[in-house]
Amino acid sequence: MKLSSTEMGDVMILEPKGKIMGGPDATLLHDQLHDFIDRGKKKVVIDLAKVDWMNSTGLGILISGLTTLRNNGGELKLANVTEKIQSLLTITKLITVFECFDSLDEAVASFK
Amino acid sequence: MKTAVKMRPSFKDSSGRAKSVRTKRKNTSREVGYCGQIIIPSSLDYLPKVDEYVERKLRKLGVDKDKLADIAISVTEAATNAVMHGNKNDLKKKVAINLKVDSSCVEITVEDEGNGFDPEAVQNPTEEKNILKQVGRGIFILKSLMDKVDFIIQPQKGTIVKMTKFLS
Repeated sequence: MKLSSTEMGDVMILEPKGKIMGGPDATLLHDQLHDFIDRGKKKVVIDLAKVDWMNSTGLGILISGLTTLRNNGGELKLANVTEKIQSLLTITKLITVFECFDSLDEAVASFK
Repeated sequence: MKTAVKMRPSFKDSSGRAKSVRTKRKNTSREVGYCGQIIIPSSLDYLPKVDEYVERKLRKLGVDKDKLADIAISVTEAATNAVMHGNKNDLKKKVAINLKVDSSCVEITVEDEGNGFDPEAVQNPTEEKNILKQVGRGIFILKSLMDKVDFIIQPQKGTIVKMTKFLS
């Protein structure tokens, strides 16, 4: 997995690419999310457009980021959720936990 | 189970340390199917190697993209459990992933050298009290994505997770 980040106003955007399956990749995403939190950034969007799939470790990282942000008055939202990840979110019922948007712009706009 | 008994001595070298990643090709004829394995030390750092091996073989054998992703996710789930909960990240212990493909199905076994567990005792991660837990979804996901999953528990010898995905 490769990971890049950008900012749109006060919204932090993370763009992982590839597969999120645990091991070193998962640590990278986890550390980046928690770096935002440590810096007081409370609005985060993860753009999943280029993520082929993730497993339960990836879902655990998303939940960790979401709960930590919410506990600090922030929010984590998902954009461009691919079909495979949508399916995983549905079977694990995490679709009821995350706010998902069809585009990055919509996700960013939802913070305003 | 027969495969596991035959394979286990090769997990370690003469000094008792786990050997590094090793793949073994047993048969590559597409007409009669494919049978092979990859053996890794008990570290999640090797998960991408496992995924690369499984996806490369299945793609070459023409398994469709959607089924391939289901299988790849399930293999990483079973391998993660084997490394963390079975072998408890002990680098002296190995995890063996066996891949068998024929025209009708893909069958994968993931074997560890741990003390086994009770699959029935695993909590349902979709229950409200568990929904925000960071862990505990692996077995639920692989059972959802694969067509058949069996757990062969061998106390003191290891656990074998046998997963099947039908191709037709």
